[in-house]
Amino acid sequence: MRKIIISTIAAAAVASSAFGHFQMVYTPESALEKGTTIPLKIVFNHPFADEHTMDMGLQANGKIKPIEEFFVVHKEEKTDLKKDLKEITFKGNSNSGKAYETEYKARKMGDHIFVAVPAPYYEKNEDAYIQQITKMMVNVAGAPTDWDAELGLKAEIVPLTKPYSIWAGSTFSGIVKGDGKPVPFAEIEVEYLNYDVDVKNNKMGEKAHFEAPQDSFVTLTIKADENGKFTFGIPKAGWWGFAALGAGKADKYDGKELSQDAVIWVQAKEMK
Amino acid sequence: MKKILIVSAFAVSSMFAHTALMSCFDNGDNTITCEGGFSDGSSAKGVKFHLLQNGQSVLDGTFNEDSEFTFDKPEGDYEAQFDAGEGHKVTVKSSDIAE
Repeated sequence: MRKIIISTIAAAAVASSAFGHFQMVYTPESALEKGTTIPLKIVFNHPFADEHTMDMGLQANGKIKPIEEFFVVHKEEKTDLKKDLKEITFKGNSNSGKAYETEYKARKMGDHIFVAVPAPYYEKNEDAYIQQITKMMVNVAGAPTDWDAELGLKAEIVPLTKPYSIWAGSTFSGIVKGDGKPVPFAEIEVEYLNYDVDVKNNKMGEKAHFEAPQDSFVTLTIKADENGKFTFGIPKAGWWGFAALGAGKADKYDGKELSQDAVIWVQAKEMK
Repeated sequence: MKKILIVSAFAVSSMFAHTALMSCFDNGDNTITCEGGFSDGSSAKGVKFHLLQNGQSVLDGTFNEDSEFTFDKPEGDYEAQFDAGEGHKVTVKSSDIAE
């Protein structure tokens, strides 16, 4: 009995210390009426509370490692976008962090899935690394092409709901996978992007849209079922991030503990 | 008889369950490419395409293997039309086509 209690506390400690880090791949609109050029911002922060913006790729020795991969998949064709990335400083409400930006010509009809694989980030408070492999997609003109594809990422949330056509008040479902296998009972953190993003000036808006009634509402935690599947009811319009913690197999980096997480962003719309 | 009824009911419902879609862009070399499709992901290969000016068709064609149709940009205003039959037409105005 004692053992069980201790292990639960230990697990809770690990989980809580890792709370609320979200790799964002942001663009204002995921459901485009027609082809257009869109801005993309790659920022590592805490989207609900915006209390800290991390320097992407920060290592234990203080150096910055560049992003490992950034690409788009459209009609099963992968195109590298890493070479187009520009380093930026993104300003959050408490500090600024190293981030990236680019523009993308979302011209062709259908789904364009963006994938960012950042270098692991050293979280000093935990003496451990976090690597969030992140998916975000936009759709042009409503034709579905790639949204449900499994891209074979080391850690991946495969959507069962189109991430760009969700009514507020409905749900989002997905399957958590690590190296192609479902992750039973995966722990998933869910956060709402609670601030407007000032795309032009690379900063967060100053006013939060919603207030958390208590700390557990800042980063919501849900669990997948025995098949790695989860469903979350989306209460409000806007961007919602899902981060499946430790979904990837890799658990060591630079001689320290690594949490290789799978992140996906979805955008809900108000019925009006 | 029963079988026939069931089949036709399915055919009808699947026809109404999806929406015809088209999106066009300017290639920047005086040509325009229109991509057609359906909301259920099915291909627009073989679907009719019309290029209209002043309500008159000035060019007719069909969407290719990649559900695309490319044409030379005409002088003046025009409309591109995806024509998969009644209820499945989509018209895009030249003023809505971005480079």
